[in-house]
Amino acid sequence: MGSALICASLVGLIILTLIGQTGPVLSGHFSSLWGTVWNPNTDQYGIIPMLYGSIIVMLIAMAIALPLGVLTAIYIAETRSARLRGIMKSALEVLAGIPSIVYGLIGVAYVSVWVAKGLDLQTGRLILTAGIILAVMILPTILTLTEDAISNVPEIYRENARALGLYRHEVIKDVVLPHAKRDILAAALLALGRALGETMAVMLVIGSLDRLPSPLFNLLSSGQTITSKLGREIGESAFGSAHFSALVLMGLILVLITLALTAAAQWLIHRAPREAAHV
Amino acid sequence: MLLSRRRAAILALSFSAACGLLACGGADKSNTVSISGSTTVLPAISRAADDYSMQKDIKIIVNAGGSGGGFKQLAEGQTDIGMMSRDITQGEMDAFADHIFTSVIIGRDAVAPVVSAEIYDAGVTALSFAQITDIYMGRVDNWSDVGGPDRPIFVIDKAAGSGTRQVFAQIVFGDKTALAAGADLVIGSNNEEQTAISQSDSAIGMLSFAWINDDVRALAIATPNGNVEANIDNVNTGAFPITRDLVIVIREDVSPAASQFVNFMLSPEGQKHVADSGYLSVSK
Repeated sequence: MGSALICASLVGLIILTLIGQTGPVLSGHFSSLWGTVWNPNTDQYGIIPMLYGSIIVMLIAMAIALPLGVLTAIYIAETRSARLRGIMKSALEVLAGIPSIVYGLIGVAYVSVWVAKGLDLQTGRLILTAGIILAVMILPTILTLTEDAISNVPEIYRENARALGLYRHEVIKDVVLPHAKRDILAAALLALGRALGETMAVMLVIGSLDRLPSPLFNLLSSGQTITSKLGREIGESAFGSAHFSALVLMGLILVLITLALTAAAQWLIHRAPREAAHV
Repeated sequence: MLLSRRRAAILALSFSAACGLLACGGADKSNTVSISGSTTVLPAISRAADDYSMQKDIKIIVNAGGSGGGFKQLAEGQTDIGMMSRDITQGEMDAFADHIFTSVIIGRDAVAPVVSAEIYDAGVTALSFAQITDIYMGRVDNWSDVGGPDRPIFVIDKAAGSGTRQVFAQIVFGDKTALAAGADLVIGSNNEEQTAISQSDSAIGMLSFAWINDDVRALAIATPNGNVEANIDNVNTGAFPITRDLVIVIREDVSPAASQFVNFMLSPEGQKHVADSGYLSVSK
C-alpha cells in the first residue's frame, strides 16, 4: 500500500512540476503556441508541426505493426508446434530488448539509405522512415500481448466451433478473434503509448524540420516530433526561459496523451465479463 | 574547567598548525591556470593545455560553460582566461567597466557554402550571397536557375542553436535569427552535414572548413569584384567573409603563468594544436 502511494505520488509530482514549468510561455506567448512557426529567437513557439509529426509517425507505425503483429500472433498461438512457438517467442524477446539507440543507428545507417535509394529521393530521413523504425520497435509489444489474448480464449469455444463444422480460418475469424478483440485493442493502445514516447530512434531519422509537410499527407518529407524536438533542444535552452517552458509544455501534452491511452487500455482489460459470443 | 590549561594550549596550537598547512598546501596560485568558456574553442585549448602542462610544471584546468559563461567568470575573477567564439558585447563590457579586457585571437573558424560534388562538376562553382539567400528562403528551387543542371535543389540547414548556422545566417542572410523557409532537411553537426551532402547529388549546405573533402565542394562567393575562393589565404587576408574568430580573453591583472600560456597558444606549437583541432591557425 505504501509503495503504491509512493508511485502514485511520484507520477503526480512529475505532472505538477511539468505544469509549473509551463508558466512563462503560457503567460507571455500563448498565441504563438498554436501557430506553425517555431523560432525561439523571435519568440514564436508554434508546437503544431511537432504535435502533427508525433501523431502521424504513431499512425504509420500502428498501420504497419498492428496487422503484422496480430496475424503473426494468431499464427503463433494457433500453431500446433510448441517448439516453433518457443523459438518465435524467444526471438521476440530479443527484439524487445534491443536498446532504442541501436534501432536509431540501424535506421540512420541502413533503413534511411534503403528508403532513399528505393524511392529515389535525396535523403532517407523522412517521416515514413521514422514510422517504419517505430513499427519494428512496437511489434514485440503488440505480438506478445495479442498472443496472450488469443491463447486466453477458452478452448471450449474452439471445440464448439469445430464441432459445428467450421473451417480453421473461420474458427479464428468468427469465434476466437471477436473474443480476444478487447484485449487486442488494449495491446494496441499500450503500443501506441510506446510509439508516442520513443525519442532516440525517431530523433536520428526524422530530419528535424520544424514545418508541416506540404501537402499535409506527404510522408516523404522530413518532419519533427515532440520527442525529437525535446531531445535536440532541451540542452541548449536556459532553465526558466520561455523557450524552456514551451518545450516543457510539449512534454506535458505528450504525458497527458500517453496517460489517457494507458487509462483506456486498463479500462478495456478490466471491464465486466463479456457476454458469450454467438457462434 | 573542562580542559586543563595545557590541553587547551595544545589544541589551539595544533588547530592553527592545521590551518596554516591547509592554507599553504591548497591553491598554489602561481602554478595553476584556469580557463573556461566556449565549447568551440575548448578542443584546441584542451590539446594545447595537455601539451603545455607536460612541458612546464603548471596545472591547467579547462572548463566549458559557453562564451558568455566564460566571460562572466573571467570578469568576476574566478578564472584566469576566458574562451569565446564571438565578440564581447557592449553590455558585457559595461557590466564590468572597471576592468580592461584583452581579446587574443588564437584561431579562425571559416564556414563555407558547400554543394554536392556533382553540382560543382556541372558548373556551379560560385554563388552570390543574394542567390544563396534566395535558395535558403525558398525563392529559388531549381539548380537551373543558378546555372546548374535541371534538378531540384536539396537545401540542408543546420540546427538554430549551432554557432556555424548563426555566423552563416548573420553574414549571408543578414539576420542571425532568420528561418530558412526553403530548407528540406535540418542537420545537427558538421559530420552529419558532410555525410548528407555527399549522399545527395543536388544538395547545398554550410560547413566548417575543416570538413570539406572531395565529395563536398566549397563554393566561391560571387561578389561584384569577382569570385572569392574558399581557401585559407582568402580567410587570412580577410577577403573571405564568413569567418569567426576564436579568442581567449584576459584581464589587465593576468597572472604570469596564464600570460605565458597565452604566448604558447600564439607560438607555432600552440597553433599546431589549433590546426589539429580542425580550425585555422592565425599567422603572427
